[in-house]
Amino acid sequence: MRKIKIAIVDDSPFSISIIKDILLEKGYDVVGEAGSLEETIKVVIDTKPDMVTMDMTIPGTDGLECTRAIHSIDPNIKVLVISSMMDEEIVKKAKENKVSGYIQKPVDPEELNTVIERIIAGEELFNELKEIYFNVFREAFLDNMNRLTKTVPKCLEEKDTKENHHSRGVSIVVGIIGKFSGSMILDASYETVENIAKHVLKRDIKGREEALAVMGEFSNIVSGNACSILNRKNKVFGFRVAPPSIFHGNSLNISRTIVESKEVVSETIFGQVYLNVGFKRGEGEWM
Amino acid sequence: MDVKLINPFVDAFLNIMPQLGFQEIKKQNISLKGKNLKSNGVMLNIGIVGDIKGNVVYCLDIEGAKKIASTMMMGFPVTELDDMAQSAISELSNMLTANASTNFSESGVNINISTPTLIFGNDFEAKMNTDKVICIRILVDDIPIEINTAFEKL
Repeated sequence: MRKIKIAIVDDSPFSISIIKDILLEKGYDVVGEAGSLEETIKVVIDTKPDMVTMDMTIPGTDGLECTRAIHSIDPNIKVLVISSMMDEEIVKKAKENKVSGYIQKPVDPEELNTVIERIIAGEELFNELKEIYFNVFREAFLDNMNRLTKTVPKCLEEKDTKENHHSRGVSIVVGIIGKFSGSMILDASYETVENIAKHVLKRDIKGREEALAVMGEFSNIVSGNACSILNRKNKVFGFRVAPPSIFHGNSLNISRTIVESKEVVSETIFGQVYLNVGFKRGEGEWM
Repeated sequence: MDVKLINPFVDAFLNIMPQLGFQEIKKQNISLKGKNLKSNGVMLNIGIVGDIKGNVVYCLDIEGAKKIASTMMMGFPVTELDDMAQSAISELSNMLTANASTNFSESGVNINISTPTLIFGNDFEAKMNTDKVICIRILVDDIPIEINTAFEKL
């Protein structure tokens, strides 16, 4: 495995040398040191670390401001606070600033190593999920369309969701809960939803309510199947789905600002169906 | 109506909103609705699983959402519900529900929550997963917010 690159931010050369010795002994690659906000920014840009250890008290700035600066350069860099101060208030603030871990000085080498390993493991697990999840959901969608309607929809190109989605009329939202949280959205026009319902029920539908209920159940099955497959691939995911909520009308938009999500449009014989699935990167479980 | 299912959400508002710069949080009333919820412009859906299973949907209007986003951004003017404002109120729904989940755990009920999905527009409604939905109305600095909870039978 590749060596984890770590930069150390601390205003005390004594602390830096202690932390550095521990990190080197545990096999990490110490790529830089900084003692101010300016140095922190420079070190992060120059050395592109995977992780930064962060002191809280730094002259002219503080650990939280430096953390925000690091994340504005690259939000994926993990920040681990190593500070002599540790109380509820400051830990809460650290968490709000997306810090991944918090340990108190004097540093215990084993504790430091454990916290780093835990942060990296969570990160790798998320990357593993990111690699596979969308394909699994798309296959679950295609598979269930095929089972229920004996047709094979054609999927257009999958892409990362960048902007709000304007609904075709019916948007079904399924919350996903497990090691990471997320959600799945299926979106289609009323006409498509009614066509699918008629086909599945093999009769005329009694009304829009019934068609929406069928589509809700279909979404539940797709998301449930996809989560089972993901859980079989890695049981640590432990995904479960919440019951579907159905949003529908003449004018609605779906916003996905705080999750990284992917989407694909599929052409079915009933009309287009849009699938969007996203998960949120964990912020660590250190509290 | 089980108060145990309502108070954690009310307490979440009382805990979280003052931290974000809101002054006055008033609980209005609690009512029972059917499964169809009419939107006032903005809905935030969060899925819940654990000892309780279901969804919570926060409802407010676009003006209220903009005002809340503005207060959350230290009074920065919010003239439309842009990405920044959407992100702010999505995060708010996440914080409120995460806090509610902590409150639930204090009474021995363990739940986990999904990411929020924000739905907004001029004309839409929601169909929830249960036939009965408990609606709690709250005024946050005179901005009306509804907490709609649809929990399946325990």
